[in-house]
Amino acid sequence: MPRGLSIYAEGNSALHRAHPFTKGTLTLVAIAIGFIAPSLAWVIAVAVILLGLLTLADVIRRFVPVALGILLPITLLLLIVQGFANPANRTVFFPLGPLSLYREGLAVALLAAARIFCLISATFLLSFTTRPADLAEAMMQRGLSPRFGYVVQSALQIIPQSLESAARIRDAQRARGLETEGSLLLRARAYLPLLLPLVLSSLVATQERAMALEVRGFGLSVHRYRRVVLPDTGVQRALRWFLVALVPLAIGARFAGWR
Amino acid sequence: MGLLNAFKLRFSTLGIVLIPVCIAIDWVGHAIATSLKLPLFLDSIGTILGGILAGPWVGGIAGFITNLISSGTVDPVAAPYSVISLLLGFAAGIGGYLGWHKHPPGWVALWLLCFLVASLGSTPFNVALYAGQSTIPYSDALLAALLKAHVPMWIAAYADEASADLLDKAVTVLVAVLIYQGLPRRFRSLFRLYEPRDDEPETTPALSRS
Repeated sequence: MPRGLSIYAEGNSALHRAHPFTKGTLTLVAIAIGFIAPSLAWVIAVAVILLGLLTLADVIRRFVPVALGILLPITLLLLIVQGFANPANRTVFFPLGPLSLYREGLAVALLAAARIFCLISATFLLSFTTRPADLAEAMMQRGLSPRFGYVVQSALQIIPQSLESAARIRDAQRARGLETEGSLLLRARAYLPLLLPLVLSSLVATQERAMALEVRGFGLSVHRYRRVVLPDTGVQRALRWFLVALVPLAIGARFAGWR
Repeated sequence: MGLLNAFKLRFSTLGIVLIPVCIAIDWVGHAIATSLKLPLFLDSIGTILGGILAGPWVGGIAGFITNLISSGTVDPVAAPYSVISLLLGFAAGIGGYLGWHKHPPGWVALWLLCFLVASLGSTPFNVALYAGQSTIPYSDALLAALLKAHVPMWIAAYADEASADLLDKAVTVLVAVLIYQGLPRRFRSLFRLYEPRDDEPETTPALSRS
């Protein structure tokens, strides 16, 4: 059975053991505060806290390469475009004649990049320490339809399978003489012959899967018993409410002149 | 009844099973485009196809979860844009309800609707996240040129996003419609979760739609 698409990293840190909702709340609140915070220094403070938590969860070594791979190109593009063309640009920082980079735009780019870093690290903090199954289970125990849980779980398994069959189809079509390299037009023409067989076979499989699920009572609207009990504590519940309360506080502080 | 009829929630097992398949088509469509080095995303073919085949909810939920999964695995920045994918699936569902996928003028209408949803929806997120950039190098060059010419920020940011979406959504909609045309006849109405608006003849599906 394929491992699925999840990037969950086994571990036994406090974050791994925490209830999925606690981590989910932490992620959402950290992102919100990152974007509410008014200046680069504050955003970096949020980022440092998140980095500390990633270290605590012992996933920092997996985090750094992935995060840099996403963040570096974005940051570079932000610095060039904003430094060059931001409407607030006044002071030349890096003179290059008509292509000069300006201080104001570079500051805008750095702030945006720091916020995106918060977004990336908060999200990875959740996905590295939480099994998607546990997150779905927690949501279903709070009243989300079990069908929704099925959709997410099933998608996480079908995606890698489909990517594998896509590779097989590519080899098969190449063996029949399909050109997948060369001019743009040539490559574009190869797109449908590569995609269509996969779509057709997955749609056919859909019907069988639906029948298999129905005979197992998937469509029945009966009470479902919990197979997994996710440990939750009073401390965590209090922590969640505390974290949630931070968001309106931060917004209020911004209106009260937090700079 | 009108358009709202398409949005009435009627989930059959078949409709639910279709959602993960659409999500996988979104992923594979993008992966093939990347492996062929096409300069397009093509990451919402399953969303549009789901919308056409089974109505707005299947398309919308497929799009929404595609973005959530992608943000939990490879690209955290995709999460905010999941709302756009939801709306994109709705748009395709409306188009499918109105039968736009059946004739070429309708294809153009579907393309324009999807293009408008994607470009208008993404611009506010681009402004909030990237100071207006779409982070696609070619389109951002356009943004830089417009800003240098003192075009207002929001208009420049929209032009940036729209320049990327115009062709991407054209090809996405075209591929989704061509796939629909290539489906065996009995599949075309098999997944539909709403009562058809027109009285086209319909083959009986193998599973009852409850």
